[in-house]
Amino acid sequence: MKEKLAAIAAELPAEYADIRYEENRKVRILYEGKKLSEVASTESSGGHVRAYADGGKAISSFSDPERAGPIAGSTCASASLAGKLREKKLRVADAPTLADAFLLSPAQDPRRISLKEKLDLVAHYNGIILGEPDVITTQTYYDEFDSRRVFVNSEGSAIEYELLNCGIVGFIVTKKGDVVQRVRFAFGGCEEYGRLLDREEELKARIAKARELLDAEPVKAGVFPVILDPSEAGVFIHEAFGHLSEGDGLQNNPAFRARLQMGTKLGRPVLSVSDDPTLEGRPGHFVVDDEGVRGVKTRLITEGVLTGRLHSRETAAEFGEPLSGNMRAVDAHFTPLVRMSNIFIEPGESPFDEIIASIDHGYYLVGAKGGQTSGDQFTFGSQWGYRIENGKLGPMVRDINMSGELFSTLQAISMVGDDLAFGERGGCGKGSPMQTNRKSGTGAPHIKIDAVTIGGV
Amino acid sequence: MHPLIETAKGTVDQAELYWSRRHMISVLYQNYRLQQVEENDLSSVALRVIEDGRLGSTYGVFPEGDKLLDDARTAARHGDPATFSFAPTADYPSVRAYDDRTAGVASRDLIDLCEAIKERIHKELPDIPLFIRCQAEDSHLLVESTEGAAGDLRATDHTAVFGAPFRGVGTAIIKGQRSISPLDVDEGLVDEFVEWYRWGDTTSTPSTGRLPVILAPEASFLFLLPLLMGVSGDLVSKKTSPLVDKIGQPILSEKLTVIDDPLADGEPGARPFDDEGIPCATQPVVENGVLKDYLVDLQSGAALGRPSNGHGFKTALFGGGTETPPTPWFANPAIEAGEESWRDLVTGLKEGLLITNGMGFHSGNYPQGQFAVQAVGYHIVDGKVVGRLDKTMISGDIYEDLRNVRAVSRERRRPLTRAGTAPYVLVDALQVTGK
Repeated sequence: MKEKLAAIAAELPAEYADIRYEENRKVRILYEGKKLSEVASTESSGGHVRAYADGGKAISSFSDPERAGPIAGSTCASASLAGKLREKKLRVADAPTLADAFLLSPAQDPRRISLKEKLDLVAHYNGIILGEPDVITTQTYYDEFDSRRVFVNSEGSAIEYELLNCGIVGFIVTKKGDVVQRVRFAFGGCEEYGRLLDREEELKARIAKARELLDAEPVKAGVFPVILDPSEAGVFIHEAFGHLSEGDGLQNNPAFRARLQMGTKLGRPVLSVSDDPTLEGRPGHFVVDDEGVRGVKTRLITEGVLTGRLHSRETAAEFGEPLSGNMRAVDAHFTPLVRMSNIFIEPGESPFDEIIASIDHGYYLVGAKGGQTSGDQFTFGSQWGYRIENGKLGPMVRDINMSGELFSTLQAISMVGDDLAFGERGGCGKGSPMQTNRKSGTGAPHIKIDAVTIGGV
Repeated sequence: MHPLIETAKGTVDQAELYWSRRHMISVLYQNYRLQQVEENDLSSVALRVIEDGRLGSTYGVFPEGDKLLDDARTAARHGDPATFSFAPTADYPSVRAYDDRTAGVASRDLIDLCEAIKERIHKELPDIPLFIRCQAEDSHLLVESTEGAAGDLRATDHTAVFGAPFRGVGTAIIKGQRSISPLDVDEGLVDEFVEWYRWGDTTSTPSTGRLPVILAPEASFLFLLPLLMGVSGDLVSKKTSPLVDKIGQPILSEKLTVIDDPLADGEPGARPFDDEGIPCATQPVVENGVLKDYLVDLQSGAALGRPSNGHGFKTALFGGGTETPPTPWFANPAIEAGEESWRDLVTGLKEGLLITNGMGFHSGNYPQGQFAVQAVGYHIVDGKVVGRLDKTMISGDIYEDLRNVRAVSRERRRPLTRAGTAPYVLVDALQVTGK
């Protein structure tokens, strides 16, 4: 397949073109309560073509590999049509050609574990949850994604590479009276199956939180100083800042490009942020992106100052900045987008107790519960939290969603903990149509934000 | 009959095939410039089988037929006992979902439509980073079962979406139109976009407290999605829905009527059968505030001891598609119109909010009817829009706060691709967190 596609790519009438072909396998096991709702083992294949011709760009996804040649040809024609309608021509930055294979060999390879063994593991964890009081139902979900990809481009790159991740994620649903609460748990999120084993004690601790929440008070609406735990802080930096460091989002937004010039002071000196696909064992680990570019660590914020950005070859050319290798697609149905790999806040020097002691009246928010961003506006939820009164943790609170504006919130990060921790399971939605990418990790220490708007009763 | 069903007939107890092919062309403009032309031709197939009384499923793109059947049988060996049978033979209602003019749309036609929208808006707002996406899709869906279901649907879909972030910030205003037939520029929609964009040139933050709120059609998901979770036969059967045992009882204001209307001829979302091959029917969900029925698919129907009412769809809060298992979902929800003009709702407010979007919805406890979102929209004082909302959240519980609806507008719109048709809904009060 690689040779056949390379021959097609070499002949395409374009300034630049690439073809990616994938064979993907997924395993999904879902328990909902006592019921095994789904057991599925699926296979799919397909390809994606991108072409830059006459300064225009076109893309195409296809199912039938026999049609790769004609589709690549018509994609070039569409790119040429688009280029003739553009004054400012699109181009891609120079990148080294690569002819290599990057295949994975984890210590405990999920591809070698039987379906029965995976089923038993999911049933085991699900059974632990169902055995606890107040639990009314569960969602316990195993998913595995195994992708073998071939990438060729018109410059002579020809790469084979694999992406692999497995994880168990779920919700514990508890109920008392009219109050229903859902707490999320997640294990794994990388290519090592061993990460999923022996997690019973952590699961029990989560169940205890889901039960405690039934007696928690709803959070009060208002503007408060907050401490985010590493899970929340990781999602915060991903949602609020990370998306604005993706070159494709800024490419056609003059207002934000102007506000995010290299060297801009975005935060206090305690704040440093990096994106690093080379971190093995983290959800966003990869060697080469879906544009044939090696992923590298990028220092996005260094001591409060903007120092880096994530790029595709197109956006790197547009901005005149270095390649970062962050161009990724979830599968062949989609075109690659500039995406974070493992984004994290670098550790600071403040012990957790010192951060708590610095707040008279505020909240300690724990456990990421998803988020959304629109430019500089962000919103995200917490699984649970605690009131802080006079420097001490108080009662538990629930139903927490917070929002804010990026630039003022970054400036309001006043303390950064010394306890950097990474989330196990990744996830990020981006694009239209949305591509939900599991291979996107977050990390952070505890951080203090001086003022955040919390929506509540 | 599809060859896979033919083969499955002699091999397993029952089988169900879902086969989809989509040809899509899309043109994207960013910052008034043509950014990308896209053309996709994708087919996919999902197969569920029942073998030895156990259920298994699989999914694939261009796999060999035998391999797909083998995978489904492997899954079935480990699967739970099947609680239902796949759809039987049925007479499907006739629904017009296809326009061959849309099937013939080429990328050049979409570029022309984008250019027309661009030109129209550029005259008014030349200095904004306008994006436009125009898309035409021609799809073919087969749902067949060994029990006799044989659904065959050709559908077209033409969409145009345009928007831009307000000056200097990330919050965007987005307008969209959708039809099974080729679209022209909707002058009224463009005028509204320009007017609403200009409203955003100034910002305003209301005081924290309870205020009346107008939910624009674009924001109808704030209560339609919690309601969907509430009426989902899946959640009802698991007793996690707040609407268990509430059929016949008032759950929302009597001013609200919500129907699911898959038989709306010629509308996007029109469907003669669901993704399990069960015939679709027009279904009142909430009538004058009273809960009429749940949405039920095959699996939840079995758990509830009743038949599916044709609401098994391969969809999800984000995404969905061939590989997503069927779950109860709206096909084409519609909130009935009221009598007042939405502009009169605005002018009648001493102080209130006009909400056009809510960010962070999925982080909230929406299955229980609650939402707490960053408010995107406008601040109204003395009947006039005084600016775009800034640093504002709204939160509420649809089963408490939407008991008190003051008015529903006579204008309705299908705001974006996946939402239904909705009017403006004036809610008496929601919790607002601002100054």
